[in-house]
Amino acid sequence: MNRSLPFEIFRYGAILLALAVTLIPTLWMASMAFKPIAEWSAAGADLTWWPKSPTLDNFRFIFGTSTSDLIVALDRTAGKPILASLLSAVFGTLIAMTAGTAGAYGLSRFGSGQNLPLALIQLRLFPPMAVMIPVMIMWAFFGLVDTWWGLALIYGIVTLPFAFWLMKTFFDDMPREIEDAALVEGCSRLRVFMKITLPMMRPALASSALFVFILNWSDYLIALLLTTREWVTIPVYMASLSSSMTGQLYGAKAALGLIAAVPPVIMGIAIQKHLVRGLTFGALKQ
Amino acid sequence: MTAIHLENLVKRFGAFTALKTMDLEIRDGEFMALLGPSGCGKSTTMNMIAGMEQPSEGRITFDGRDMNGVAIGRRGVGFVFQNYAIFTHMNVYDNLAYGLKVRGTPASEIDRRVKAMADFLQLTPMLDKPSAKLSVNILQRLAIGRSAIVEPAIFLLDEPLSNVDAAFRAVMRTELKHLQRQFRQTMVYVTHDQLEAMTMADRIAVMDHGVLQQVGTPLEVYNDPVNLFVADFIGSPGMNLLKGTLADSDRGLVVDLGMLGVTAPLDPALSAIARVNRVREVVYGFRPERVVPAAAGQGLAIPVTFIERIGARTVVHFGDREQRVKAVFDNDVAVQAGETVHVAVEPGFARLFDAATGVAIREV
Repeated sequence: MNRSLPFEIFRYGAILLALAVTLIPTLWMASMAFKPIAEWSAAGADLTWWPKSPTLDNFRFIFGTSTSDLIVALDRTAGKPILASLLSAVFGTLIAMTAGTAGAYGLSRFGSGQNLPLALIQLRLFPPMAVMIPVMIMWAFFGLVDTWWGLALIYGIVTLPFAFWLMKTFFDDMPREIEDAALVEGCSRLRVFMKITLPMMRPALASSALFVFILNWSDYLIALLLTTREWVTIPVYMASLSSSMTGQLYGAKAALGLIAAVPPVIMGIAIQKHLVRGLTFGALKQ
Repeated sequence: MTAIHLENLVKRFGAFTALKTMDLEIRDGEFMALLGPSGCGKSTTMNMIAGMEQPSEGRITFDGRDMNGVAIGRRGVGFVFQNYAIFTHMNVYDNLAYGLKVRGTPASEIDRRVKAMADFLQLTPMLDKPSAKLSVNILQRLAIGRSAIVEPAIFLLDEPLSNVDAAFRAVMRTELKHLQRQFRQTMVYVTHDQLEAMTMADRIAVMDHGVLQQVGTPLEVYNDPVNLFVADFIGSPGMNLLKGTLADSDRGLVVDLGMLGVTAPLDPALSAIARVNRVREVVYGFRPERVVPAAAGQGLAIPVTFIERIGARTVVHFGDREQRVKAVFDNDVAVQAGETVHVAVEPGFARLFDAATGVAIREV
């Protein structure tokens, strides 16, 4: 590894730049979440990295228990939007993963040709706006507008292609012989799938589910169009955090943003060991 | 403990015919090796016996029962895969116990048999270990144990030793033979390694290009190959095959090998058959082990190209291009590269093949 000095400087420069672009806004948000209004509003002229007088007031504010002088009336707290986001993203992920895994297994093992798999990815070639108006009309017809289950359903449909394609790749990579070995012992197809295939696919399921969950969790556009009041999600609620007096409520937004980052981070840590692929296939001579 | 009968078996994959035709009787309790180069149809045949593939034509019977349409799990076969197909999310014990568990065997019985099998295959120290991190050699034994534990009437092994190292392969060859003697299953063993087939099998079915070439005991296929393919494929090194022309001499029928000279007279029996067949252009075949030094002026005079010492024996390569000959001698043989040596074939060990068809000229 004898790289030249200019190259090393370039390399570390590029790494620092990439880190700065991703980390500085995140850190700025984390810092802002703990700043009192004077420090994050336009009125507070001196912006500092570290909160001078750290406070949990922004968190209290979005949950409606603020006692400070932040004189803005919130018509609702962050509690319900957090619940809405959790319910719609979790159930949307369940729908996408269940249907995607079943479809991927079927097409990987018994399918022929590429037409059906490619047709599924076509769902993602549309600009979302092109289909959202018809979807709104349908959802209104079925009474699904402004419900978490209506949102979960559309999330499941929209992220299905991702779940399907990720799982299909994993199934394609899994040697057929492992299932044949269980079939020879007299297992039924269903039992092979439940007891052999799915357990061996745990890492694949976990990483695909995390990916799909993050997509659902961070959606703004669909929730904006399909929810109005009762079941708005975190991103939609966040956009509404502003007032005529102070403009954007950056402190409150930062606090909510920090809360919103928690579930994906927890999930990521929980399945960390699965995110490293290859354990499953280690025992097979490729 | 089941006889397998393959009748007029044909397998096509779309336009490709993997198995052109196959008729084979595998006897009850026999160790049959399906031997051939890759793509010869041996694995396809095996998969059809197991029920993983359905024949395009023909039928497979076990003890006379037609297996057509019988599900893979209901044929009573054990299958060991080339890549082991271990359930890596289970430990060694659960892998061994799997087949018994599926069959609803009582737990105490499972425990007893798993421990006995682990003992037999020297897997006892690893029973609690996760199977994902075992070495290839152990995985291979585990795969054999997992199939053998349910004592299937038919045991199918698809190149089980091709991934393990050479030393372990030698150990497993004896262990597999020992296993089969103990359980007395009918064993079908797919391999491209003629040494494995020769050492373990009761009979060998040699295949090439989707066609069964010859079935016989290891010595039969070794000593009397039915055609040039079998002659060349069996044996390491393979049989020497030299093009020549049959000619009459005052001592009887001989083969004129052109530049190499003229062979010793053929056996009376072989001569008689060759005369009946009216073939002139032949291939003269003989095993490298049957080459003996001849006195100067006798036998074939050929230059030594190079010498390959393999320990116990020494392989001497003669000639070049079309007229290449290998001979296996004792390791202290006094020959040197470059010198011309006189060699002959031991009486009774020369074989003749029809040069046009490749078929052996022999008594039928």
